[in-house]
Amino acid sequence: MKNIIIGSSAAGISAAETLRREDPTCEIIMISDEPNPLYSRPLISYYLAGELPEERIYYRPPDFYERNRIEAHLGRRAVRVEPRANRVILDNGEELEYDNLLLANGASPTFPEIEGLDKAGVFGFRRLSDAKEMLAMLPQVKEAVVLGGGLVGLKAAVGLKARGVDVTVAVGSPHLLSQMVDARAGEIYRALLEEHGIKVATGMEPAKILGDGRVTGVLMESGEELPAQLVVVGKGVRANLEPVEGTEVQYDYGVIIDEHCRTNIPNIYAAGDVAQSYDVVRGRHWTNALWPCAVEQGRVAALNMAGKEAVYRGSMGMNSVQFFDLPVISAGLAGLRERDFDSELIDQPGPRIYKRLVLRGDRLVGFILVGEIENAGIIRSLVERGVSVAELKDRLLRESFGFSEIMPLIEGRGERFPEREYQELIETMRLMS
Amino acid sequence: MERIFCDLRRCLACGACELACAVEHSSSKDLFQAVLEGEAPVRRREVQPAPWGNLSLACHHCESAPCIDACITGAMHREEGVVLVDQERCVGCWMCVMACPFGAITPSKLKVALKCDLCPEREGKEGRERYACVAACPTEALFAGEFAEFKRLLEEEVVRY
Ligand SMILES: Cc1cc2nc3c(=O)[nH]c(=O)nc-3n(C[C@H](O)[C@H](O)[C@H](O)COP(=O)(O)OP(=O)(O)OC[C@H]3O[C@@H](n4cnc5c(N)ncnc54)[C@H](O)[C@@H]3O)c2cc1C
Repeated sequence: MKNIIIGSSAAGISAAETLRREDPTCEIIMISDEPNPLYSRPLISYYLAGELPEERIYYRPPDFYERNRIEAHLGRRAVRVEPRANRVILDNGEELEYDNLLLANGASPTFPEIEGLDKAGVFGFRRLSDAKEMLAMLPQVKEAVVLGGGLVGLKAAVGLKARGVDVTVAVGSPHLLSQMVDARAGEIYRALLEEHGIKVATGMEPAKILGDGRVTGVLMESGEELPAQLVVVGKGVRANLEPVEGTEVQYDYGVIIDEHCRTNIPNIYAAGDVAQSYDVVRGRHWTNALWPCAVEQGRVAALNMAGKEAVYRGSMGMNSVQFFDLPVISAGLAGLRERDFDSELIDQPGPRIYKRLVLRGDRLVGFILVGEIENAGIIRSLVERGVSVAELKDRLLRESFGFSEIMPLIEGRGERFPEREYQELIETMRLMS
Repeated sequence: MERIFCDLRRCLACGACELACAVEHSSSKDLFQAVLEGEAPVRRREVQPAPWGNLSLACHHCESAPCIDACITGAMHREEGVVLVDQERCVGCWMCVMACPFGAITPSKLKVALKCDLCPEREGKEGRERYACVAACPTEALFAGEFAEFKRLLEEEVVRY
């Protein structure tokens, strides 16, 4: 069996390791336009901030490819997939044939359609090379503007601030982190960032990047000019569809995958940020560009490629982040613009503690936990399994809430909790009664 | 692989397992010493009221562990079945806390995730002494072994009742 994987990050690595474990003799070819060693993408902000040296963000050792007997084409881009010929064309014209193909080529920053993005000093924040180029430029940077107040933008802002740069975050939305949390939580983070010296301007869209060869500032739609020698664009990401554009492979915002992480072409799979999978909360396909989804989808795709039927239950929006000392975890329909719910439960016992549960009927469809995150995983599992929490509602937000309180629910809905650990618990409970 | 199970009926919620766990994971392994040294030992096991009694809960070392998938640094990993945190690599992003459906991972003040590691420093000890929590349990509610053995034990007890 000849397997080709395009992309060597969360999804690609997970798939390659699974393939090698399942089939010691199969051929594995990986194509990546990034060089070795393999680093963890979410850690580039820690590197930018100076919290981790480069070696500490490596995700796999430099001998990853040899150790797993992988033929690696590094620094090469896959420019086209030819599903009928079972062939991938590289940017140097080389043609590689496959039995199974995995698209694990991720996503790239979205840039707004404004003038001046080509000036030196304008960055997306996605690759280690972005962080390195930003660091190299720092001696000439007094002020930076971050366009976008999402997780990635704020991580860049905090990182630059840690390096002594005067940072302004300019956000189109009325609140920060609007994809991840609601207005109240967004305001908690605005106050926190401002306390740490980061300026936040909401309701501000950029009109033009100013400067000659080098950026000198950003002209906002409001007419205001924000001086900056460095601009980071954190306006979300879009799937890297280039290799499949115009082919029979079906895509929308991402490549559409089924419960086997397979595309509409039987021997082509997709996983990670490039893919659009079934969202268990939304009940339809959706892009959840997240590390855990990439790893799980990569594994499920690889198992199926190796001929072992494996099923992917689906994804959901979720995230966890800590800025300064304040952690937040949210999942499901937690963002500012989500409307598809009936009721919410809110508890705000302190200025920096905020908890919100979002329900549709008796089902939990989302939550936000700021400050006290210990029970996030239990609550997230209830969102994921889509079970009724009618009997639990009043207890979910209590400080004393713990896993044991959902045991009766698990016993009653055993089919929704198929994992070994739950099933053992159900058996234990049955033996008690 | 050997894991730790809790007989809900036998667990009286005395908290001995929690304390023993905290002490086992303190640098001096001595409660008095730890407190003197200003260290606040953190337990990786928690007793909660449950149907039929109480549940002493810690990491299940899941067969398919969502915390490992979620870990962005590779700190959360598996060694011979045991799910472990490499504290040197953990950056405190709490993706594992978000992922764990049992709430068995503690986001500690030191910005590292803490969880049951099956007492690696007690390796070599035999029987109930092998794990600090099991050794400390006065009612033998905690059991270390395969699930099938635990189940057999429960079944025997059911017969006895
Ligand atoms: C700063 C930052 C912080 C983040 N923090 C979090 C977090 O806390 N939690 C979380 O869940 N997620 C986080 N993410 C998102 C997370 O990094 C992604 O979800 C994850 O990396 C997706 O992995 P992937 O393998 O699908 O794709 P990617 O990581 O995008 O990797 C795709 C790889 O393929 C390469 N490639 C693309 N096209 C081609 C081609 N045509 N030919 C060859 N190679 C190609 C790319 O260069 C890249 O190396 C963060 C991202 C960033 C940038």
